[in-house]
Amino acid sequence: MKRDEDTMAPENPQQAKDDLRRLLALYRPYWRWMAAGILLSLTTVLANIGLMAVAGWFIAAMAIAGAAGATLNYFTPAALIRAFAIVRTGGRYLERLVTHEATFRLLAELRVWFFTRIEPLAPARLGTLRGSDLLNRIQADIDSLNHIYLRVLVPVIVGAIGVVLIVGVMGFFSLPVAFTTFMFLLCAGVGLPWLLLRRGREPGRQSITQRAALRDTLVDGFQGLAELRVYGADASHADRADANAERLIAAQADLSRLTGWSQGVQILCATLAMWAALILAIPAVRSGTLHAPDIAMLALFVLASFEAVMPLPLAMQMLGESLAAARRIFTLVDCQPAVIEPEVPAAPSTQPDLRLEDVYFRYGEDRPWALEALNLDLPFGHRLAVVGASGAGKSSLLNLLVRFWDCQEGSIRLGGRELRDYAADTIRSQFAVLSQDPYLFNATIRENLLLARPDADQATLEAACRTAQLHDFLTTLPQGYDTPIGEAGARLSGGQARRLAIARALLLDAPILILDEPTEGLDTLTERDLLQAIGELMRGRSVLLITHRLGGLANLVDDVVVLENGKQVQQGKPAELAQSPGAYKTLHDALAGLSA
Amino acid sequence: MSPLVRRPLAWTVGFGLTAGLLIVIQSALLAWVINRVVMDSAGLAQVWPVLAALLPLFLLRFALARASERTAFNAGAEIRRTLRAKLLRHIQALGPAWLKNQSSGDLANSVVDGVDALEGFFARWLPNRALTTFLPLAILVVVFPTDWVSGLVLVITAPLIPVFMILIGLGAEELNQKQWHQLARLSARFLDTLQGLTTIRLFNAGAREAAVVARLSESYRQSTMKVLRVAFLSSVVLEFLSTISIAVVAVLIGFRLLYGQMHFQPGFFVLLLAPEFYLPLRTLGTHYHARMEAIGAAERIMQVLETPLPDDSTATEPLHPATTYNLRFSAVRCRYDNETPALDGLDLDVPGGAITALVGSSGAGKSTLINLLLGFVHAESGQIRVNDQDLTSINAGDWLRHVAWVPQRAHVFAGSVLDNIRLGMQDAPPEAVREAARQAGADDFIEALPDGYDTQLGERGAGLSGGQIQRIALARAFLKDAPIVLLDEPTANLDGQSQALIHDAILRLAEGRTILLVAHRLGTVRLAQQIAVLEQGRVAEVGRHGDLLARNGRYAQLLQAEVEA
Repeated sequence: MKRDEDTMAPENPQQAKDDLRRLLALYRPYWRWMAAGILLSLTTVLANIGLMAVAGWFIAAMAIAGAAGATLNYFTPAALIRAFAIVRTGGRYLERLVTHEATFRLLAELRVWFFTRIEPLAPARLGTLRGSDLLNRIQADIDSLNHIYLRVLVPVIVGAIGVVLIVGVMGFFSLPVAFTTFMFLLCAGVGLPWLLLRRGREPGRQSITQRAALRDTLVDGFQGLAELRVYGADASHADRADANAERLIAAQADLSRLTGWSQGVQILCATLAMWAALILAIPAVRSGTLHAPDIAMLALFVLASFEAVMPLPLAMQMLGESLAAARRIFTLVDCQPAVIEPEVPAAPSTQPDLRLEDVYFRYGEDRPWALEALNLDLPFGHRLAVVGASGAGKSSLLNLLVRFWDCQEGSIRLGGRELRDYAADTIRSQFAVLSQDPYLFNATIRENLLLARPDADQATLEAACRTAQLHDFLTTLPQGYDTPIGEAGARLSGGQARRLAIARALLLDAPILILDEPTEGLDTLTERDLLQAIGELMRGRSVLLITHRLGGLANLVDDVVVLENGKQVQQGKPAELAQSPGAYKTLHDALAGLSA
Repeated sequence: MSPLVRRPLAWTVGFGLTAGLLIVIQSALLAWVINRVVMDSAGLAQVWPVLAALLPLFLLRFALARASERTAFNAGAEIRRTLRAKLLRHIQALGPAWLKNQSSGDLANSVVDGVDALEGFFARWLPNRALTTFLPLAILVVVFPTDWVSGLVLVITAPLIPVFMILIGLGAEELNQKQWHQLARLSARFLDTLQGLTTIRLFNAGAREAAVVARLSESYRQSTMKVLRVAFLSSVVLEFLSTISIAVVAVLIGFRLLYGQMHFQPGFFVLLLAPEFYLPLRTLGTHYHARMEAIGAAERIMQVLETPLPDDSTATEPLHPATTYNLRFSAVRCRYDNETPALDGLDLDVPGGAITALVGSSGAGKSTLINLLLGFVHAESGQIRVNDQDLTSINAGDWLRHVAWVPQRAHVFAGSVLDNIRLGMQDAPPEAVREAARQAGADDFIEALPDGYDTQLGERGAGLSGGQIQRIALARAFLKDAPIVLLDEPTANLDGQSQALIHDAILRLAEGRTILLVAHRLGTVRLAQQIAVLEQGRVAEVGRHGDLLARNGRYAQLLQAEVEA
């Protein structure tokens, strides 16, 4: 999702049509609610127009009857006026309830739909989606898909049906008036929106781009505020943000000028339509083809009928924005998952031995190999460390093992069968991953634990937390296990967050444990305490330790593999490697030289 | 509200009133024409001049619609411009310590979207509220002399509208705020789910999370609809009263016409004006949502703006020039919010022109000490002296000009490598930047980047490793050439080789400067001439590496722990 894909409206009309059709298909389960909302909205609009028209006719007819001293059946029009007034009022209330009901049902549907579509894409196809700002925009996009119904479909359909009915009824009284009114309605309801859409595209695009640019500048400046201050660059950064904001306002000013112009044109269309109707109707009254009271009716009828097309310019603008949002969402969910699930998945293995043979892997055709000719052997119950500097290919290995990606060549076997023969769920139930940066959800401790085992009871949770040395801390909290931990676990210290992750891994109870720098970023004392808990976690499991540091955990493994730029440069027992010359010894000595 | 804004807003209201006046004139002319045709059987020839007079009226209304939109926008733009600049500078002044507890994304949203939302209040709600007061009054002034009965109908129903709206609005507003917060929570939860998608997959929890999203959305729908059923009543009352009174006006006029108690022309004129009487109120209703949004945004903005800035009125002296600067902390106490003190009576001498290392477990107060020197936090009591000056009396800008800082996780700004290094020194010659990069051991990898020093660095320095970012930050410090350098765990999260490169760079930087170095890994400590061990906000031990080791105290314990780990 790059910035240059931000467009107000898709340039390709066929694409736009397809997207709209696809969107409507998503709406289908709620079509009854939606149709009811549209019907109510139409009724409400027509009732108001009818009220004005009948009232105009009524007083003109009464005046003529009064002047002539004649009598008039005033019951029907008076009853009509009352009926229109009541329908208008009740209709408005029901319309708003029903359309909102439909909107909220849709929102729930769309969110679940989006989530289930995007879940298989993580993390391989969502690499660029990590920033929370981008995610925020996705959310705004989903909301705007949802708004298509209330802000686009309802006004457009009501406008279309409304105009047909209005013109039909008008034609019953005077064809020429009906025709000219129709023309002006087209002008205000189709021509004007079309023109606005064309003229508004560029400023609209500008305003989106400038808004995003301003937000980026601000976030950049907030995240780096400390540096800006110390290096005396805060004032110039604020000036840059001001200039950016000014460009945003300039684009918004262009849009506002269009809005003002469009409001003016609407007034002009309505008043000119009424004026034309008078010019046509006055001779008709004189020639007797039109009853005198009808001209009062027509004048009010024509003026009021523009209520049906009034929301259309805004609706078309919303359509453009929503279709652009739809394009972004569809592009995202249409990504092919990085791995393809087997048609007939193999049963979980009972002996989870892990074996990599001659594995080649890269992230794309044009990218360098991230792993080259890698061979690893991890029989069940063994412990293996993969050591290497940053960029050596350690995270790629992790991605392959939990099958977020597939290797291009070679074989990865679990329990003697190829990894790609298993269902992804089966594979991931075999691995517990403890990383340096465990993601904690902004929920309670309990909810974060239950993620690993939803059916765990309190006793099970406590046992896990005791082993992870977290339980005692939790009992000091007033809310205990139900304490919310804040955004990304902000209310926990670094050590507590890792312990929570350890407890989660314990609950998962998978046979193979992957430790990805589990103590990185912690101070020495915290690390030492944590190692005991990790030791508990390692008991009875295969362990794959991924690290750039020697010492500590790397002393506890049976075998070490040293990676350099994706290639396996050394392999052996830790003690042997420390003696023989090579990459391992270099790393080892570098560390020893610093801390000895 | 500044006078700058009051004027365009007054113009907006003025244009609105003029447009209302034009509608009255238009209605009068129209009533005259229809009356002549209906009652006097007049033809086009008789009414032609009046029909012609209507055309310029229409054009004038067209022009007024554009003008009032423009003045309203200008008023809103001015407010947004001023407030945005003020808000941004206030956030900057509140500083990094305050920002640490905030989400940058949220704050940016407040400055961008939050400030934009205020337009709804200032440019739309305020002028429309003024029109809601004036326009119906103006119409009454016209209607009463024409037909006092209709005038009475309008007068009776009109005050009921605000009364009902207030009654219903009071309850609805409170509920609305609650819904607003619930929606925000729901959105945050969804966002959290998306951010943790990889973790969710690792735990095979996708289907469960989908069910949670569905359940939360459903319960949000139910509770929101409960609120809306009440909230929509206010708009129904408005609709009801306006529609019914038009109907009543029409029926009353009709019967008086039938009984000959009234002429057609004034009757028709009043009927044309009746909807206009309620129009401003109904327009105001459509801006109600914008107003709610603006209030929500304003709450957040005011919360930021009302956070008091640290008092720096005493900090006026320039820093006295010297070749080296020593720092002396005496009995310094410092705490964040109301927590236990981060520094609790700290005493420490930092000699000029040498490297002093700070060690200790996390929470011992190392970072707080650095933050104090940078002015991000302020001491509760005690004193920090720079040579012979009290730090609190030195002008903050002048002080910071003499300090360079390499944080634990340096920030890389969007822009070129060159601009990133010469941060705050935009006129530094490229040669000097290159030299600084060489000193920091960064030149080699920068030259290897696709566009060398002109390579654009994206969001959070995508494409650079932790060690490379750290060396860019060191290059900044070299370029600044400040006599005091603060290094906050400069080798945290780095592998052994990157650490060694950075250690070399630090030793080069140390020449003739006062360096205060916070160390995580004790390897870095070996660079220092003096080591201070911090514990619970105090200095537990000070000395050289060998001396401390021999003393077999806290330092020796830390070292032991690291070797075991």
